[in-house]
Amino acid sequence: MKKILLLGALAILPTKALVAAEYTVDPSHTYVSFSVSHLGFSTMRGQFDRQTGSLEFDPAAKKANVMIEIDASSIDTGHDKRDAHLRGPDFINTVEYPTITFKSTNTTWNGDKPATVTGDLTILGVSKPVTLTITAMKCGPNPFNKKETCGFDATGSINRSDYGVTYGSPNIGETLDLQIEFEAVKD
Amino acid sequence: MQQLLARPEFQSAIIPFTAALLVALALHKLNARAGLWALLVAFVVAAGLINGLTLTPLTGTRKIILLVVASLAAAALLPKILPGQNLQRSANSLVLALGLLWVFWAVVARMPTDAILFFLVGASALVLVLQAGFERIVSNPAQLQAAGLSLLLGVGLSATAAASALLGQLGLALAAGCGGAFLAWVIVGGASVATGLRQPITTLPFVLAPVLLGLAAVLFASLPWYALIPLAAIPFAVSLVPLKFDSRFLRALLASLPGLVIAVSVAFWIWQTSASDSGY
Repeated sequence: MKKILLLGALAILPTKALVAAEYTVDPSHTYVSFSVSHLGFSTMRGQFDRQTGSLEFDPAAKKANVMIEIDASSIDTGHDKRDAHLRGPDFINTVEYPTITFKSTNTTWNGDKPATVTGDLTILGVSKPVTLTITAMKCGPNPFNKKETCGFDATGSINRSDYGVTYGSPNIGETLDLQIEFEAVKD
Repeated sequence: MQQLLARPEFQSAIIPFTAALLVALALHKLNARAGLWALLVAFVVAAGLINGLTLTPLTGTRKIILLVVASLAAAALLPKILPGQNLQRSANSLVLALGLLWVFWAVVARMPTDAILFFLVGASALVLVLQAGFERIVSNPAQLQAAGLSLLLGVGLSATAAASALLGQLGLALAAGCGGAFLAWVIVGGASVATGLRQPITTLPFVLAPVLLGLAAVLFASLPWYALIPLAAIPFAVSLVPLKFDSRFLRALLASLPGLVIAVSVAFWIWQTSASDSGY
């Protein structure tokens, strides 16, 4: 009986080690924000207020897969009238394209920490590869609820006309700088 | 020059107006439907400047651009291919129905059942009212062009006030093109420049463009649906004005007045109710 249990444990152990831990993105600690030149005068900032997602993370195997789905209609620049304009067909057309998604395809590592994440960002139904640089990262138990948590800060930039968002170009900036901070809790 | 071409007033007013005027004047002795060709050229140029020379991703707005171009080309070409009036009316209805489904169905299908029914009934009513209105004036060049100009101006201004400069600019570019072709008719006269040659197919772009742009402004932006009711009355209002003058200028002016009053009033109302503040 002991032999059988031992063999069973040996059979499971390597399998468990190969399976990356799965996490669910915590919307209350996740921020997808952007900044863009406003007519060359200043930088305009905004964010999306609602997003969901998942993370598979295994630093030992240098494996990380992230998927974030953003509710496009939750765009928020702190100005109702401008937000309505941004939701309309001039920009991200949230009635026709209700979600913006990011799905990672490749990760580079610096030691046991991910350095960059490349993935497909889909806006207006157009998917283009984007590389995000990870500027901060920590995994461990949350000291308050004891749940295993990973957090990442990442930055990148996109050219909006690559996604067919051409209105107001070049007066309204072509390049959008992205800042993504998210936490994910182990399932 | 590049900066000039990026300015909305050039993209959707000065350039399409000038292009339509020049093309209509250049073609009026060569082609019986010079006004429609002029409007087609004006819209293609303006849409290229406003939207860029890209059709990807194929959003609802870009589908509208394609359909308006196709409808103008059909109105200019099809009378020879489809000579029968009933055949042309059937073609109009088919194109309008398929166009509406192509542009809006993906969005409408996600709505609750009552909203889908409301959209289908409302869109059908809008199409039928505009078709009936334009059929009344299709044989009168002054009234047809005045109604097209006013209706598209109304749709363009209202869409702009309702948070879509893109749809608004497309409507205004069409209105400017109508204005250019209309002015050519005033200058040289005759049926050759007139967009109306008593053919039902001629009404297709004048119905299709405001229906698609108006409904897109309702669904994709925030134009109240009931704003389309007074705008749909424009062809009827234009038809009520007696035009018993020899002067084409006076006929054009009088035919345009009721439509322009409705168009500007609706746009002002939308602008007021949308609590517009500029400069954000």
